[in-house]
Amino acid sequence: MELSDILYNKAEYVETASGNKVSRHTVLCGSQNIVLHGKVIVQSDAIIRGDLAHVRTGRYCIVSKRAVLRPSFKKFSKGVAFFPLAMGDHVFVGENSVVSAAMVGSYVYIGNNVVIGRRCILKDCCYIEDNTVLPPETVVPSFSRYAGSPGVCVGELPECTQELMFDLTKNYYQHFIPAPQ
Amino acid sequence: MSSLSTHDAKPKHDLKIATHAIVCHESKLKGDITIGAHTIVHPRATIIAEAGPIIIGEFNIIEEQAHIINRLPPGADPSTQIVMEIGNGNVFEVDCLFESTKMGDQNVMEVKSHVGPGVEITSGCIIGAGCKLTGKEILPENTVVYGRNCARRIAMDKPPMQNLQIEFLTKTLVNYHHLKKPRSANS
Amino acid sequence: MAYLVRNDIVQYACTCGQLRPISFLYFCRHCLKLRCGYCVCHEVESHYCSNCLEILPSAEARLKKNRHVPKHIRKCQACFDCPNCLNTLAVRGTTVSVRDPEDPSKVNSQKKYYHACFFCRWTTRDVGLPDQAVQTVSANGWAQKNTSNLQRITVLLEHAKLLGMLERHEREQREKKFTTRFRRNFSHLPGLTAAHVRKRAGLPPELPAPSTIKVNLAEFQPAVAKDTVQELPSDIFTEELDISRVTTLAQRFAQPETQPENIEDLLPMYKHLSTKQSQRCRECEHNVSKPELNPSSIKFKIQQAAYFHVPEVRFVTIEPPIGGKPSEVVILFINPSQHPTTLSFITLQEAEDEMKQYHSEGSADTSVQQGEAPPSLSSLTKPVTVVEEQKPIDISLTGEVLLPAPDIEIILPPKDDAAEYDDSGETQQFHDDPKIVIHRRANKASLRFTVVPKTDFIGENCVIGFAFRYTYVNRISSPAISTSEQKPQKVQLCTRVFMNCGKILEGTQ
Repeated sequence: MELSDILYNKAEYVETASGNKVSRHTVLCGSQNIVLHGKVIVQSDAIIRGDLAHVRTGRYCIVSKRAVLRPSFKKFSKGVAFFPLAMGDHVFVGENSVVSAAMVGSYVYIGNNVVIGRRCILKDCCYIEDNTVLPPETVVPSFSRYAGSPGVCVGELPECTQELMFDLTKNYYQHFIPAPQ
Repeated sequence: MSSLSTHDAKPKHDLKIATHAIVCHESKLKGDITIGAHTIVHPRATIIAEAGPIIIGEFNIIEEQAHIINRLPPGADPSTQIVMEIGNGNVFEVDCLFESTKMGDQNVMEVKSHVGPGVEITSGCIIGAGCKLTGKEILPENTVVYGRNCARRIAMDKPPMQNLQIEFLTKTLVNYHHLKKPRSANS
Repeated sequence: MAYLVRNDIVQYACTCGQLRPISFLYFCRHCLKLRCGYCVCHEVESHYCSNCLEILPSAEARLKKNRHVPKHIRKCQACFDCPNCLNTLAVRGTTVSVRDPEDPSKVNSQKKYYHACFFCRWTTRDVGLPDQAVQTVSANGWAQKNTSNLQRITVLLEHAKLLGMLERHEREQREKKFTTRFRRNFSHLPGLTAAHVRKRAGLPPELPAPSTIKVNLAEFQPAVAKDTVQELPSDIFTEELDISRVTTLAQRFAQPETQPENIEDLLPMYKHLSTKQSQRCRECEHNVSKPELNPSSIKFKIQQAAYFHVPEVRFVTIEPPIGGKPSEVVILFINPSQHPTTLSFITLQEAEDEMKQYHSEGSADTSVQQGEAPPSLSSLTKPVTVVEEQKPIDISLTGEVLLPAPDIEIILPPKDDAAEYDDSGETQQFHDDPKIVIHRRANKASLRFTVVPKTDFIGENCVIGFAFRYTYVNRISSPAISTSEQKPQKVQLCTRVFMNCGKILEGTQ
């Protein structure tokens, strides 16, 4: 299915020079620690916790409504440290999903209502189905499809996943346009 | 970037915050709420005392989008007072919903977990991510609820205290957020 | 996204008759045919652990056996799964104070490690396993409590293997004529061992003599039914069963070696290895997909996915299909190649006739084509080509689609990555019929079709099917061709597509 246009209220969104489209109804804590690398869409009621640690996303990432990006902590003998959350290019994060990963690679699809536990590592080209719960410190290898609670590998992705995700996120950005006044 | 307009507790004197607690201004607190020392309330957390006061102990962490609601049971007389008590050292993770009236110490409500009004949580329990408890029961100590079918087991130990995390958050949250001022019960 | 989320909307017919979304198809550039997962050879390139992403070369994975890991089961030696919830276990470190053995008054602190599950909070301490002094625990440290089942399973597996060997031997005996010829064929090739030749030709490795197999088989002791059964414990009817202390079936099946009954007997399980696979066309033995060995790499050495060669078809809009009433659908065609392509539409029947014709020609043709393949391979592959018999397509059409006349050609410009950044308007003119082509953008064109759903399938999905011809530029410079003609060949190919337009509604007259 070709995506149909996703219309948004022009007054609600801020568009930056690098093409990021960020809703005004989001909570971006510690915005000086948040780097959105261009053409990133952050939709309404999403939360990005830059106050805990740095959050960096690549190009063409989509953070859907009510999604939470939250750096994760690890306990050491001398205290806790929050790890920065690094996200690659062309990543889709679905609605209501909570991402506390240490690393999310490029070309990753995270469905709706997903819980990515603390310090998880999502390699490039992987797919997390809706309602999955990934326990802390899970490693999701490339070209795998995870589902369930606890999340386990349920299948493989086609070899051309990179191009499919590239196409999806780019198309999404191109179809994410202000509603005609 | 932009921040959301916050809803202050309507009658100001109902909100009691102990001196060492960190309550972010962007949290939504409504009704008669008492927050103990060293408790952290993240921005966007929601605590609503509808049916009666909520008393939260010390060393708790309440993360963003966590909902603690003292809800009036349907059909109940609005004048009845139900007190919700939450002990010490509990963690309410992102997007969890707690509607019960009693929680002991050192429990963890993981991401997207849901505890309904009839469930009494004792101590050392872990409600796993995405698990829902809506029946009527008393959860024994150190119970772990996990997985798609809400399987249960009894753990050997209680989950560890989060004092180190609280220490870290106490230092950092001040730099990024406006806090609600501590206010003792009688002032 | 459609191919990642839902893959039953647009399906392509593979050469073998399977229906697949385009993302799951390969395109062999040598045969110029579509291949699906069922009609290619899958070869395991490497084994790796999905948790630590460590590669174990195949040979090592096979050899790396120890007392507790039978060699046929490929498992990671450093990572474990939780026996309780089957999630991966994590290593946790603690500091324990140990009394100095020489000086009892002194207390030394020592770093110890144990495994814990972050999902159900099971720990190796729960079942009384001692903490380890090193971080990378080898499970040898954990005493295996009961291995009687393991021995029996190994014996049974060995027995099944022997039976298989015997069967294969008998089969090969029947095909003796074929085998001898094939042996003669490349016995002259230097540097190839017999085993290697068998492997190249896709044959299983050499078997031991049938006499030794039979001797080994005779040693097998089948299970014997016993008259005396172990007495039930006397308290079985009086003792109240604590369901939380008994393992679930899933937990027992996960540990076939021990099959523990009680929670206390659960032991951490070795993590199974994952594989990286390459795919090979069965007809010409060229790879259609070959990944890099490194498990964290997403690059491919060879990647001939259909997605890069065959025009992609997508729905843009669908009018709700009503039984018997023509409805309009807009379908997007995308040219993924670096060359312009020309599309024209034919019915499925025409496409099938064409293919049959091609097939009958092709059978005479193959001998010529074989010559083009690398000489080292051609002689090896020739006798053992296993080509999947073409199967009829298993789908019922519940709608008619009215296609443009077959002589109408739609030209799709090539894919141009640079054009994405070029904002200037389209300058190319295509002289399209505005009734058919409603929109164009770079290498994409939206075409209008009319679909008439059948009236007797109301409530079912409206499935339409059609075929399209497209021109494909073959750029392979195989040594045989490169000497005679350098120019890339232009060929016309045909693909059948099936599309699901959604549920047919009842017409309201």
